[in-house]
Amino acid sequence: MIPHDVRLTYSLSPGWMTPFVEGLSKGDAVARRCARCAFVSFPPIRTCECGTAEGNWVTLSGTADICFRTHGSAGDFALVAFDGADTKSVVRLEKFPLVQTAGKLLPQEIPLPALVLHPVKGDLPT
Amino acid sequence: MSSDLGVSVCGAALTPYNRRKDGSNFRDWAFDAFEQALTLSTVELRDIDALFVSSESDFFTYQLNPASVLASDLGLRDVEILRCEGGGASGQLAVHAATRALQSGRVKHAAVVGVDPSASHLSAETMTSLYGYSFDAWTDGMTGLSSTALYALSFQTFRESCKVSDKDLAAIVIQNRSNALDNPNAHLGRTHTVDEIDQSPLIASPYRRLHCSPLSDGAAALILSHDTHKPQARRGAAKIAGIGSAVDTLHLGARADPGNFSAKTSAMNSACKEAAILPDTIEIAEIYDAYAGAQLQSIQALGLSESIIGDLNSGRFAPGGQCPINLSGGLLGQGAPVGATGVGQTATCALLVEGTYHPALQPDQPPRYALADTHGGICTTAAVTILKNGEVA
Repeated sequence: MIPHDVRLTYSLSPGWMTPFVEGLSKGDAVARRCARCAFVSFPPIRTCECGTAEGNWVTLSGTADICFRTHGSAGDFALVAFDGADTKSVVRLEKFPLVQTAGKLLPQEIPLPALVLHPVKGDLPT
Repeated sequence: MSSDLGVSVCGAALTPYNRRKDGSNFRDWAFDAFEQALTLSTVELRDIDALFVSSESDFFTYQLNPASVLASDLGLRDVEILRCEGGGASGQLAVHAATRALQSGRVKHAAVVGVDPSASHLSAETMTSLYGYSFDAWTDGMTGLSSTALYALSFQTFRESCKVSDKDLAAIVIQNRSNALDNPNAHLGRTHTVDEIDQSPLIASPYRRLHCSPLSDGAAALILSHDTHKPQARRGAAKIAGIGSAVDTLHLGARADPGNFSAKTSAMNSACKEAAILPDTIEIAEIYDAYAGAQLQSIQALGLSESIIGDLNSGRFAPGGQCPINLSGGLLGQGAPVGATGVGQTATCALLVEGTYHPALQPDQPPRYALADTHGGICTTAAVTILKNGEVA
């Protein structure tokens, strides 16, 4: 076998998803609302199931409830329902206690626009 | 009255699926599979007038435009050529493209070659990272999500409605890897216990390492012929009865039921309509078991059972059962060189219905109908192929 190291440095543009990506960096859940049927998708869907590509950007509260979660070698992930969204979202859970079932997006310091849910203090069940 | 597409599988071959350490590379494996399939077909090399190549990613092969490289290696010149890619469904999409080309009448004999060096070229960590970007790179991918984690979330929603126990999940692994013991080309023929599976490292709950298919090196090839040009020596070759593919919403969370592989249902309905049969006509199936739970989700979506767990535990899907599933070992046991997977499944089904599969796995009575099932992403792209015995009217 011949070892061969390749490094790739991309310059990525978010394109039509720019409001979503910029929102994540600020900790905002910027969703897409269909101009025709008002269906709210987060992450945003460009063309709604109703067939309409026209839509508006709306900022949700950024809070979400966990529906299903998985933990393992790559970290903790969950299928969550963001308040105000008609779709569910897959997120990374950051330092999330097993007993906690809700969380919030927070401003990010990393350059990549990752959907990361953080536990909210005081939200633990009593 | 059933029907078929006027296309026969005159040649079918798979190389061993494993982690190669012998200095060979994907071009060697593709060559070997093609040569074996061509020999079985009795078609002359000069009579092949189209090549369809399935390879999932240039990241894996370290070769952009691999179809042209393989065409040159295989000695194919001035033929129609197409490279097909649809994640894990790539191989069957290549089979479908070839089938349609043959049906159109512009092609008499088509070669389909699937190949990927999924095990030996890159580290497991690198492959895991790359697969994280095989869903939506801008949403799922950026979270650092692994393929296993996404499958785990989908399966959790499925198991809630189907009441799948850990023991049921283990039964899938044990059956498929046990089948693989009789497949000399298989990567992971093993005898596992439930405890061994339960104690294997956690990857993404509930999936542990032994619930996951391995990444493999390997190739598979088919020679498909229009029936009017089928060699006399291959008049008993399996026929393609129906094909179907469909795509689901990309994001798991945007699906009405994230545990339901609905694209697979659509693909199966299309294939059954072409074959003029119902799903319960299928007598044997190679199912896309990238993860143990995905096999159960697929069985449900394909309409192969009305009581999945009951049928699993009664032996309906075991060798000798009413509808054996993954006699080859499936991805869990036979292995998964991704671009080769769908081509290899179709080859396996063709040999089974012809009655010439590995002797220890070949049913005494060749099945009349077999199903090859794959998907890419979290069943985002689904592709299925129904094969029938060449003697069936």
